[in-house]
Amino acid sequence: MTEVDIHAPGVEVRKSACYFCHQNCGVLAYVKDGDVIKIEGDPEYTNAGGLCCRGNIALKHLHHPARINHALKRVGEKGENKWEKIPWDQAISEIAERLNKIREESGAEAVATAGGTLRTEDWSRRRFMNLFGSPNSFHNALLCWIPTFMIETAISGWSPFETDLASSKCLVLWGMNPGASSMPGMKGYTDLMMSGLKIIVIDPRYSETASKADIWLPLRPGSDTALSLAMLNTIIYEGLYDQEFVQNWCVGWDELVEHMAQYTPEWAAPLTWLDPEQIREAARMYAKNTPSNIQWGCTWDQIGANGGAGTQARALMRAITGNLDRPGGDTMPGPSFGYVTDEEIEANDRLPEEQKAKQIGSNKYKLTSWPGYQIIADTAKATWGKAPTAEWMCEAHGPSVFKAILTGDPYQVRALIVSATNPVNSYGDSKMTLAALKKVEFMVTCDYWMTPAALYSDYVMPIANALERPTIHTNYGVTDSILCSERAIQPLYDRHTDFTFWRDLGLATGQSEEDWPWKTEEEVFYYIISPLGYPVENYDQFVETYRMYFPPQRFYKYGDAGFCTPSRRCELKSSILERLGYPALPTYTPSPESAVENPELAKEYPITLTTGGGFMPFHHSEQFNIKSLRYLYPDPYFTINPKLADKLGIEQGDWCWIETQRGRIRQRADIESLCDPRVVFVPRGWWFPERGVDDPEAPFGCLESNTNVLTCVDDNYCDPLGGSWMNRGLLCKVYKCTELDMKLRQDTSWSIPGNAKEPGIHEMPSDAKLAFDPIPYDPKPTFEVPDGLVWDKNRLKAVQPETGFVYDPDSGWLIDEATSVYYDLVTGYAYDPTQGNLVDVNTGKHYDMETRQEIVSGEGEE
Amino acid sequence: MTRNVMVIDLRRCVGCQSCTVACRTWNDLPMDIIYNPVLTEGVQGDWPNVHRNWLPTLCMHCENPECVPCCPTGASQQDEDGTVWVDHTKCMGCKVCVNACPYGMRDVSHMVPRFDQYVRKCTFCRDRRQNEPGKDPYCVQTCHQKARIFGDIEDPNSEVSKLINSVETFRLFEELGTNPQIYYIPFLGGHR
Amino acid sequence: MKRHYWTSPIAIYLFLGGLGGGIMFLAWIMSAFVFAGQADVLGPALAGPMFIALLCLALGCFFLVFELGQPPVFWRVFTTATAIIKWGATMLSIAMFFNLFYVLAYVPWFPVFENFFMPFRAFNLGVAGIMGLGIMIYTGVMLSTLKAHSFWATPALPILFTTSATSTGCAAISLSLGVWPGSVHMTMASYLGAVAIHEVLHVVDIVLVFVEIGILLIMVLSFLGSGTRTAKRAAKRWVSGAYAGWFWIGMIGFGLVIPLCMYLSGVSAMSNGVAPVLVLCGGLLLRYLCVWTDDRQPLPGEERYYNKLPKSDAQFLHAWEDGDLY
Repeated sequence: MTEVDIHAPGVEVRKSACYFCHQNCGVLAYVKDGDVIKIEGDPEYTNAGGLCCRGNIALKHLHHPARINHALKRVGEKGENKWEKIPWDQAISEIAERLNKIREESGAEAVATAGGTLRTEDWSRRRFMNLFGSPNSFHNALLCWIPTFMIETAISGWSPFETDLASSKCLVLWGMNPGASSMPGMKGYTDLMMSGLKIIVIDPRYSETASKADIWLPLRPGSDTALSLAMLNTIIYEGLYDQEFVQNWCVGWDELVEHMAQYTPEWAAPLTWLDPEQIREAARMYAKNTPSNIQWGCTWDQIGANGGAGTQARALMRAITGNLDRPGGDTMPGPSFGYVTDEEIEANDRLPEEQKAKQIGSNKYKLTSWPGYQIIADTAKATWGKAPTAEWMCEAHGPSVFKAILTGDPYQVRALIVSATNPVNSYGDSKMTLAALKKVEFMVTCDYWMTPAALYSDYVMPIANALERPTIHTNYGVTDSILCSERAIQPLYDRHTDFTFWRDLGLATGQSEEDWPWKTEEEVFYYIISPLGYPVENYDQFVETYRMYFPPQRFYKYGDAGFCTPSRRCELKSSILERLGYPALPTYTPSPESAVENPELAKEYPITLTTGGGFMPFHHSEQFNIKSLRYLYPDPYFTINPKLADKLGIEQGDWCWIETQRGRIRQRADIESLCDPRVVFVPRGWWFPERGVDDPEAPFGCLESNTNVLTCVDDNYCDPLGGSWMNRGLLCKVYKCTELDMKLRQDTSWSIPGNAKEPGIHEMPSDAKLAFDPIPYDPKPTFEVPDGLVWDKNRLKAVQPETGFVYDPDSGWLIDEATSVYYDLVTGYAYDPTQGNLVDVNTGKHYDMETRQEIVSGEGEE
Repeated sequence: MTRNVMVIDLRRCVGCQSCTVACRTWNDLPMDIIYNPVLTEGVQGDWPNVHRNWLPTLCMHCENPECVPCCPTGASQQDEDGTVWVDHTKCMGCKVCVNACPYGMRDVSHMVPRFDQYVRKCTFCRDRRQNEPGKDPYCVQTCHQKARIFGDIEDPNSEVSKLINSVETFRLFEELGTNPQIYYIPFLGGHR
Repeated sequence: MKRHYWTSPIAIYLFLGGLGGGIMFLAWIMSAFVFAGQADVLGPALAGPMFIALLCLALGCFFLVFELGQPPVFWRVFTTATAIIKWGATMLSIAMFFNLFYVLAYVPWFPVFENFFMPFRAFNLGVAGIMGLGIMIYTGVMLSTLKAHSFWATPALPILFTTSATSTGCAAISLSLGVWPGSVHMTMASYLGAVAIHEVLHVVDIVLVFVEIGILLIMVLSFLGSGTRTAKRAAKRWVSGAYAGWFWIGMIGFGLVIPLCMYLSGVSAMSNGVAPVLVLCGGLLLRYLCVWTDDRQPLPGEERYYNKLPKSDAQFLHAWEDGDLY
């Protein structure tokens, strides 16, 4: 009954892609007369023809009547939903004028930008911001891999996130549910499982993935850190580590052994609700079945206060079991040497140092902002000449920016550009976030839809979707493979791509054409892939003929030049974390809100709440306006164990309140044994775009069932390392809604801190305490610093100020780290290894090693 | 002779409903028509000793369909290759076949004009297979997990033939004598 | 269960079809067998009931066609030969034609018809009567061949429907016997004949109602005791669940037992006027309850699945219908 004939004359097939999640599946787009008439999964791509729920609705998305097709300028009051359709260029120049004025009056840092997920060309946003002069761009990145990447990179030189599962013997899926979030990946896991790979799933829910696994550890939500510390303890104290690797390639082992003694499985058992023996079993299975592999899961970055320590512990588990960069283990790709990485086109060198220092949150959450990023980027550049991307890895702290809008602390943020995100749904403490969106002086939103953020904006910019733009997937440029897809059609109506937005805005704010040498994505992408050396003349040709680039995996790369860390070793005791004022060894911090550690609070809020967790068919807060999908999942459902439901008198489908200290939301009860009787699981993302502005205070029902009303972004809830806030293991109570409750207006009252009993601002962000205090970092030299040299406590080295050469206390020589050339401490002459004497690089004259006398030409030859 | 059947590997299905959505969009179905719902009873058992399972369904393309002989207009019919389908130019919407199907796999839409409510059902993507021989029904192609396998059971070398003969399978409501042609490879759930 | 595919129109159609069939069948039996040889006398007395029967069938057909997804092409029903439903449609058509022919013989204002059809009236009544029997049985058989539905797929159902149809036929004849506008044909003998028929039908209906109570209880209770899980669940709904009030008070009580008592109490205004109406209501209620009891054995998880789907008035289903908004 296919009404559309894809074989009709004039129908062209384009190799486009789905970009409704990060999988970037291939899509064959059938194009006729500049419009896509049909799509299907590309059988010859990584997805083997497969497309999930979201992929299949691409045309509904492309032609949706609620899509924003023209630039909209606000004509009514903010939130009144009155707009004038204006041409794109006019909107760009008006926005630019306003931004320039704000920069003039308050400095560039008064302009902030919020981004969405990986699926935009956000290097161009970063490029714009760097050239504009503001350090305050941010994403929800802190909840998704970025703290993990930075912690692991600090320890072992790069995040070991790539896999070589075919040679692996044991796989740990930790806080990760590919069965609902990465469909092509799940196929691979199932194949491997069927051929004998042992899979351990660690998840408080009996997830889609857990239901297929060999071992499943149903831990208390949010107790992942305690579990990982106890597993690390087991591996160390049962001698399950790789002694050779530890001896040859690690530093800090003895301190680690001593430090970890406190974290026994018996210590972790009450925190995790597991048996000590279960913890030991899992640790043994992982450590004995090497090569083994731990996959990163979003949970790692959503634990809050002690989340970073957990990631640290897992990084150490990978290391001491000898799994790093080993076939079948956790492989570390490093930056791409083939194509141009994002970092190379972000223009980070154009942002002045004094502006970097103004980055909001960088005084608190140092690892994922300029202080930590600078160290890691410098180390990486010294190793490879390339660095991880600054977009994502080095950003302002999103919730702190929203607080700055509301409090003016540390300074007033006056403008916010929101691109591809719906902050009310995706950031923690929605009520506070919504208040900030309403308050900010000037706001621009780039989106497909009228979201709450768009509604309060001064301009809404119409953005092209994945069929209307080419896509390139480089994993932020921190791995070496690349996936490319072409544009199926030019953007419809007056829609433009986000790259075009940032480029146009850049030019309109006074940036030069030379700063933006590429006019289209195709031009940039061709620039990116050109170094790969394929015989193609443009980007589309690359897509048509090659489409992707996967270099052969190289293992044991640390064998060449050591690990990309200051010590060139895998730093079990991390010098980078130590320098930033964090514990160098994984150290547990009690959670500010948990059923075990907060019995007082648990009296009022007895149920453990876990939020987030992807579920089909939606992605984050997307696709709630696609009828074909909503039809299958029209209402929000939270999951509750039959025993708990029974106790609370709740029946299948009942509307219930879920309430934390911050607020309450309502969802319908789905009764099944998916989680522990002490736990409820509340899925994320829910808003009701069909409602429109029925409630001007909280449009689109954006607070009604929104799980982030329940979460907390108070500074003492955030992980001091990476700044990620707490979505797992919160405390709540659950009770049935009455008839009257269903008619209640949404509660928009907000407070800073979020846990305050009364609405309003009770504490300035600058006064807020972190989960633990920074540890002062003031290391003394372990050797005598020769005269004329300066002790650099960050690098733990004595440095010659004039040259930047560092002193090697063992040999007594100076070393130029860039060239590895040795210099004499007294004379400053270089050591010439070919002749075994000293040479003055300025004059070219040679000197004797011992006497430091000039060797007269000719004598040396005899 | 060709006899098309489908094998559904429950060991692979994760209940993502991609097949459901894919079918709806590929066949441009009215909102309330679902050819291939993915059913589940949720997580069963007493925590933490639990199991869960999904059951992707579609028309069973029975060897002895209940829904064909009952049709008074001949719209409901079966091809040589076993495909059961409805010719909407012959259907008058009496719904006797809808009531006859023991699997609930037929329906008329209530979201189309009142006088255009003909019976709709899965056709194993009959038109797609006719237009592009060799292609699978779209739900088969779209399944990332490759939990749906389509093919000719009469061909001993086909994947479906091999699976049906070498792995234990079950079919739904076999006791009714409809001889359904959707074969399920069971997944017992829980941990092996 | 997703929903009821067949609803009120089908219930009404089954009732009216059975009723019309019952009237025609009984009229034929009375005329051809019970009071054989008195066709001339009884003919006009039966014209009223036969006309009612014709109306029932016509109205029933209207509801049937109305229930179709594509009413304008209802004629497609005659395009194939094998399906039960096609046989039903054919019998209905034949019955209606011959019923019409029979009635036309008594239309007072058109002597042309009278002259033409009067000679064939016995034949016409015969065909209509046999078709009437067929229709009564067919209404039950149509449901009972749908073996997906445990509550329908029993041989008891056609028997129950036939009994009920005959019983309602009795009631309808009792109410309409001798009522006919053209007094030309109605002689005193006709009235006496009508009274005789009435007496016979009175007894017949007592028997039928007795039998119907028996079949109904046996059917429902045997489902409850030894049916499949689905049938049991459906029967439970009748006996002690959501339909219990309708079943016990409505159908068994007012539809059968009370009229039975009235019939048994002898000929009276109650038994002549009220009891038949109650029987008719009971018959309609029976069809409703049966059509609504279309329980199919659910696939595992089916109910959970369909319960989560939105109702047709869900707000998102009707949003963004104004075309491009922004």
